[in-house]
Amino acid sequence: MKTHKTILRDLKPKKFGKRDSIWTISLIVIIIIGLIAYIDQLIKGQEVTNMRDYALWGIYISNFVFFVATSFVGTVTVAILRLTKNSWRTPLVRIAEIISVAAIIMAGITIMIDMARPDRLLNLFIHARLQSPITWDVVIIPTYIVISLLLLYFPLIPDFAILKTHFKKKKPKLSKFYGRLALNWTGSKAQKSLQEKSIRIIAIMIIPVGLLLQTIDAWLFSTTYRIGWDSTNFAPYFISGAFVAGVGALVTLIYIIRKAKKLENYITDYHFDKLGKLLALACLIYLYFNINEYVIPLFTAKKGELVHLETLFTGSYSILFWAVTVIGLILPIIVLMFKKGRKPNSMFIIGLIVVIGSWWKRFVIVTPTLLHPFLPIQGVPESWHHYFPSLHEWLITLATLAMAFLIITVCVRYLPVIPIQRTIDEMEASEANNKNTES
Amino acid sequence: MKYLNPRHLVLFILLSVFISPLLSQKLEAQDKKKIKLRIKADYTKVIDHSSFIDLSTIAKINKKNAGIANLNLTIISKTDDDEVELGQATTNHDGKVRFLINDLNKLLKDTLGFYNLRVKFMGDDSFKKASKTLSFKDAHIETKSFTKDSVNYVSATLKDVHSDSVLTKTSLKVNVERLFKSLPIGEQFNYTDENGTILVPIERGIPCIDGKLVIEVILNDSDDYGTVKALVNTTFGKSAVIDNSFENRTLWSPRNKTPIFILIFANLLIFTIWGIIIYLITNLFRINKS
Repeated sequence: MKTHKTILRDLKPKKFGKRDSIWTISLIVIIIIGLIAYIDQLIKGQEVTNMRDYALWGIYISNFVFFVATSFVGTVTVAILRLTKNSWRTPLVRIAEIISVAAIIMAGITIMIDMARPDRLLNLFIHARLQSPITWDVVIIPTYIVISLLLLYFPLIPDFAILKTHFKKKKPKLSKFYGRLALNWTGSKAQKSLQEKSIRIIAIMIIPVGLLLQTIDAWLFSTTYRIGWDSTNFAPYFISGAFVAGVGALVTLIYIIRKAKKLENYITDYHFDKLGKLLALACLIYLYFNINEYVIPLFTAKKGELVHLETLFTGSYSILFWAVTVIGLILPIIVLMFKKGRKPNSMFIIGLIVVIGSWWKRFVIVTPTLLHPFLPIQGVPESWHHYFPSLHEWLITLATLAMAFLIITVCVRYLPVIPIQRTIDEMEASEANNKNTES
Repeated sequence: MKYLNPRHLVLFILLSVFISPLLSQKLEAQDKKKIKLRIKADYTKVIDHSSFIDLSTIAKINKKNAGIANLNLTIISKTDDDEVELGQATTNHDGKVRFLINDLNKLLKDTLGFYNLRVKFMGDDSFKKASKTLSFKDAHIETKSFTKDSVNYVSATLKDVHSDSVLTKTSLKVNVERLFKSLPIGEQFNYTDENGTILVPIERGIPCIDGKLVIEVILNDSDDYGTVKALVNTTFGKSAVIDNSFENRTLWSPRNKTPIFILIFANLLIFTIWGIIIYLITNLFRINKS
């Protein structure tokens, strides 16, 4: 049986080792390179990208959709598992909350990168049309950022108080920092009641807001009358896709953090098994919507849409399309059906495949459609008929991914990735339960 | 060599250095081949409105025909014995300009009743001299609209003003005037009869504003008369139902015409969610204080 001391020793934020520092510096270097590319893009304009009249949404929007999708993990694991009283969630929720915060912040930044004139950002608010899904997006993203931050912060307050006391003698500055964040937490009845009530409210509120976020993201596409996007199926298709991307990201990061912070006693095979089942469920639901999205139009599609489908099934995007569908979706389902497939090592590989597949899936959703407008592409240079991101676009996109990782890394460095207070409470409850059973 | 002062030599060299580029520039300008310019001129008369000449200048630049902007053209009215300058016109960025003739009586007319105009370009550094001669007679179209046996008609009689005689077997076009391009109606060719007249039935139901239909009768690009156009105001049209849906509150309207249900629903959602967020933030303060 673990003691309070052991739990605190295991779960408290620890100083970075050499490996962690190299990782952090690498991320900063990637971010700086991306920043230079972005400044160049600002100076020269978006001609440095390969986006043109037709492919006017490129890798930035794919990346934005990916970040939005990944941020859904907060809604799924924290809120849904909490409301359905799945106790195995405890060691996973904090990491899910961190991913959610990092992803939604980066979604907001990525959409600004896609704007040719970010200095006109304020116009989105000043001249907002409430009928436009873009305006809804402008409203929902900051809202989701705030809710995700609150969802991360409220459960952290008791842990901050514990850390404040813990570091009081050894690291007074760090103790002071945690003390400020602890908001004078003493664990009094009134404080506990306020905190629990607030968490309950956020857990309920984040579900409709999360669903709204994914729905609005889908409507950004489906309200523009274009081949491949003109679908009433798009919102649930996006929600299920976000479910996959979010849980995939969670599995991957949990594996890495568990290994880096030696948390094998807290995040066990049991948790991976449960997560594996959740990921399998997510992939199955997403596969169902994929079938709806691509098979039904085969029967009903007009000529223009058939050309688009042919490009995906047998044409220039077929390798990517089948890779994300078979390797990124069907293969994980098959592997996760087996108990061995839900072991940590295989789960990590599956999680990684799912995340990479999810990223490219957004590219497959965004780009081919834009290259198949209703009116044929005429009178433009040959290169405008195709789209592949330029070096600037890759560097900037890699920098945004690095930025998301950096946010996660900083959070992992300074926050307890597994809730300390809750783990102690659960252990005490379990002890009390055992005593009752023995007596 | 006795007379060659070194100071003079230096001065001479310095002057040569400054003057030689000017000389070479001048020589270059002389050497530069001037481009041939073409002028086009079309005469149009709109009965009871105005007469004008549409002028355009074209030159071949880089193997492509292009209109030349900012060229001064002089318009002269002339006969065998006399000539009068009517005025000048400068081409626009497309190389075109419209020269208005306010009063035909100010133009010189020959014994056959022809007005002979000459459009001249005097040439400049880039373009050679050019000119274009244009001859036309004055024609008149007399129009009438009426209804007979419940059929609406427009009749038009074409006359040569100088000889005061009707013009027979001449094709006139009949159009409905529209904002961008006129809409042809009736037969493709309407030849004037022995009285110089055409009679064109106007079909019912042509949409227009307040039922007011403007019919154009045109003698188009005639060798002798140029283009002559007469406009007839009729009430033969059918009042169009104007689509003013953009003034309604729709999903496609501007922001000040947002549908009420969206205003209510979206604002309700935003204020409810942000209300809860503010409540949660106040809870943080309450935790801090308790």
